[in-house]
Amino acid sequence: MLKRLRSLLSFPSPSRGLAGLAVALALVAGAAHGSEKGLVLGVFPRLHASETTTRYTPMAEHLSERLGIKVTLVVSRDFDAFWQGVEEQRFDIVLYNQLHYIRSSRTYQVVAHNKEFGKSTLAGALYVRKDSNITSLAQLRGRTVLFGGGEDAMIGYIAPMYLLLKAGLTRNDITARFAVNPLNSVIGVARKLADAAGSGDAVVEQPALRKAINTDELVVLAVTEQLLHLPWAVRRNMPSKLRETIQNALVDLENSESGRRVLKSAVLSGIGRAEDKDYNPHRIMVRAVAGSAALP
Amino acid sequence: MQGQGRVMRLGLGAKFTLTVLTILACTMAANALYSLYTSTRFHEKQLVERGRALGRLISLVSPEAILSFDFLLLNEYTRQVSAQPDVVYGVILSPDGAPLSAYIDRGDPLVRERTQETASDDVLWLLRKLDGDPVLIRLEFPIVHNDAHLGRFLVGISKTTLNNEFRRQLEVQLMALTALVLFLSMAIFLAFRHSVLFPIKALISASRDVGRGQHAMVEVKTEDELGQLAIAFNAMAEEVRQEQAKLHRQANFDTLTGLPNRLMALDRINHAISRASRSSEKFALFFIDLDNFKSVNDSLGHAVGDELLVATGARVQAILRDADTVARLGGDEFLVLVPDVVNELQAEEIAERLVRAISQPHTLSGRKVVARCSVGIVLFPENGNTVASLMANADNAMYQAKATGQGSAIFFTEDMNTRLRERMQMEQDLNQALELGQFELYFQPIFDTASGRHRGAEVLLRWQHPERGSISPAVFITLAEATGQIVGIGDWVLEQTCRYWAQWHRAGLGPEFLAINISRVQFRKRFSRRLSELIAIYEVPPSALELEITESVLLDDHNHVAEELNSLRAIGVTLSLDDFGTGYSSLSYLKRFRFDVLKIDRSFVAGLPTNGEDVSLVNAILAMAKGLGLAVVAEGVEHREQLDFLTEQGCALAQGFFLARPMDRQAYAAFLENIPVGEGVVQLPRNRNKQRIVRAG
Repeated sequence: MLKRLRSLLSFPSPSRGLAGLAVALALVAGAAHGSEKGLVLGVFPRLHASETTTRYTPMAEHLSERLGIKVTLVVSRDFDAFWQGVEEQRFDIVLYNQLHYIRSSRTYQVVAHNKEFGKSTLAGALYVRKDSNITSLAQLRGRTVLFGGGEDAMIGYIAPMYLLLKAGLTRNDITARFAVNPLNSVIGVARKLADAAGSGDAVVEQPALRKAINTDELVVLAVTEQLLHLPWAVRRNMPSKLRETIQNALVDLENSESGRRVLKSAVLSGIGRAEDKDYNPHRIMVRAVAGSAALP
Repeated sequence: MQGQGRVMRLGLGAKFTLTVLTILACTMAANALYSLYTSTRFHEKQLVERGRALGRLISLVSPEAILSFDFLLLNEYTRQVSAQPDVVYGVILSPDGAPLSAYIDRGDPLVRERTQETASDDVLWLLRKLDGDPVLIRLEFPIVHNDAHLGRFLVGISKTTLNNEFRRQLEVQLMALTALVLFLSMAIFLAFRHSVLFPIKALISASRDVGRGQHAMVEVKTEDELGQLAIAFNAMAEEVRQEQAKLHRQANFDTLTGLPNRLMALDRINHAISRASRSSEKFALFFIDLDNFKSVNDSLGHAVGDELLVATGARVQAILRDADTVARLGGDEFLVLVPDVVNELQAEEIAERLVRAISQPHTLSGRKVVARCSVGIVLFPENGNTVASLMANADNAMYQAKATGQGSAIFFTEDMNTRLRERMQMEQDLNQALELGQFELYFQPIFDTASGRHRGAEVLLRWQHPERGSISPAVFITLAEATGQIVGIGDWVLEQTCRYWAQWHRAGLGPEFLAINISRVQFRKRFSRRLSELIAIYEVPPSALELEITESVLLDDHNHVAEELNSLRAIGVTLSLDDFGTGYSSLSYLKRFRFDVLKIDRSFVAGLPTNGEDVSLVNAILAMAKGLGLAVVAEGVEHREQLDFLTEQGCALAQGFFLARPMDRQAYAAFLENIPVGEGVVQLPRNRNKQRIVRAG
């Protein structure tokens, strides 16, 4: 939609245009199963497709160079399409959220995690406005809580909802609304469209949010334990050597100049190693919020 | 433009160009302003349309972002909208008016103006501040999804750039228009100058030439109005040329004879002087005046007189070379200019040829007419080196020739000039003589020849010049007549005579009459009226005055003379014909004009009684007078024999030295006192010294 808007407004961006073209080509390709001639890198659509393409194209190129295998970035137009790709294992390498991994952990194996804003972890948090006079989770009963992302959002929904559950509130005790991502949920509270926002604890540090609202007007009502950040996973049937090579390639990014440029492009501080057990805390929260049926 | 120095002078070209420039400038400026205005209106509409397009688009795409609480996307929308040129702000408001997304161009001057006072980030406050600004176009679009009102999108578009562009375009267009107008004006001026000014200037130049008397024509290049004007001008110039030629002929040629006139003659003399001066040559001027031309006019009529003039001019022209000039100066005066004259002898030969040619008889209107002339001759440079001096000297010489007798030619001499100067000096002196009391009346008694009784006296005028002594009336009366001074002098004589007669009459001494000579010039000036006044003033009986008139008076306009004489006769004065026998002595005068007295001139009396001719003439006059019933007075009786003869022949009255010399007023009064009362007979002197006698008139 933004692209359409830009087009209408006659503000074409050459780089974004090319990126869009690449995305379109990838979409057309239907993210075909990992080609024998190369690997497919899938990135979950937490950002707009164009932004995702911009951020992660250098990553794909870097991996191609590092692995000696062509790595193709595939960006899905929405979460459904992305999840379908995960279920169909069309991605050889995939970056998604913690819930995605937990659900796909039978076919994908985590090898690394994101470090964002210098941190490998983040926590779910509930924000309220300072002028709302809400100081306890219990006060949210009957209130509107704007969660960042859908019910699949680990940090934007699962973790904040887990806090509410722990505080004795059920889903029915609140009016749950969903913003497209954690940033917008916080903005929505700042705009007084909801009483509380479910989001990540570090979201207020993000420049985009600081640019959009005055974060000083907000206060964190509750926060979860620290959870490992977004996982990088590869297909479990991938040769171990390739898996290790990919893992090393990701982890080594912050050790080289070219790697740091890739990280900067992806707006990441770094990528650290990860293994499956690192996401057990996440599994506990998912089980509490979504029930055991949500787990594989 | 003399006298209008302060008035700015603008030429036709400048005026036309200024007018065109003004019209062009106004028209094009108005057109440019209108174009700019419509263009601006169009662009303003486009701006609004662009705003509406943006608004509709945002209101179309926003519901999804609003419903999904994607504020960043909304921000992106508003950011993209506000990044558009001229967009000051893009704001998405919730249904209750809370801003969901706002992007304001803080760098825009409109915003800067309003945020200078306060650093408020309150979007709604700023919108309120901006609202109503004429430079800002505010558009609002509802955001609706499935009939649900999700909010409003406000976009503010600034017309600042448009206005600036308008001003810039205005400046550019004004500069372009100025250049264009100047260029067009220059082009129009050049075309105007070529097609209008040049022909007009040519006409002006030609007009000036015509004004200077030069024949000028202008070339007719076109058939338009200027061409017609040029044709009309040429026609006018041709008419002027012909008229000038006519005028030139009239101004320089005598219409009667076709000969050059005085003006042309003077010009020719001037040229002759220049030419002769350069070549050290001589030339001669012959001033010709026909003798007694007036008598030809009077006796044969003016038509014959004119024929005589034409014939004379032709005859003179016939005997001269082409290089010579014959001019008619006026009246019966001709001038002949003969260049390259070697000496006086050659001039004399030419003069003789002229006199001879003019003297040849003419047959005019069937009558044989013989004209004679007097010729004054001057030579350049001996007799003058200017036109004026040559003409004056030639004229002077001509008068001298005329004085010597008919049909003569005389060279100018310095003596003539001397006489002329004397004459001029006398003329000046004569002007003052009356005021200075230099005139004096003398009285010569007139006696009855039979009884010796004193009857009256002839009044004589003497001029006692302080340097030259007594001057003869024969000298100064002619001069006074020529200058017209005789009128004043004659009036003085008449008045003094009346005064004296009145004095003597009151003293009981009154003579029977006093005879006064009247000039022909005086006679022309309504003499009778003045005489009546004096008679009334001094109470003189008209019969006491005898007016002596010479025959020359009768030569003038007969009607006027007859009228005047009748008036005098009606007054009752005695009329005497003076110097009878010396002039024309036309008996017709005696018949036409009635006189009371005839005066026999002294020249006839002088030979009495021994000269047979004088005796016969006097006897004839006396017989004629007796027949006509006229009294006769004999003048110049100087001895007894003359008196006796006249007495015997019946001449009733006489005057002369033998009887009594002229005497001044006191002497005459004494003479009157000595006459015994009732007798009037005086003792005639026997031996008298000669005196100069002057006669009035």
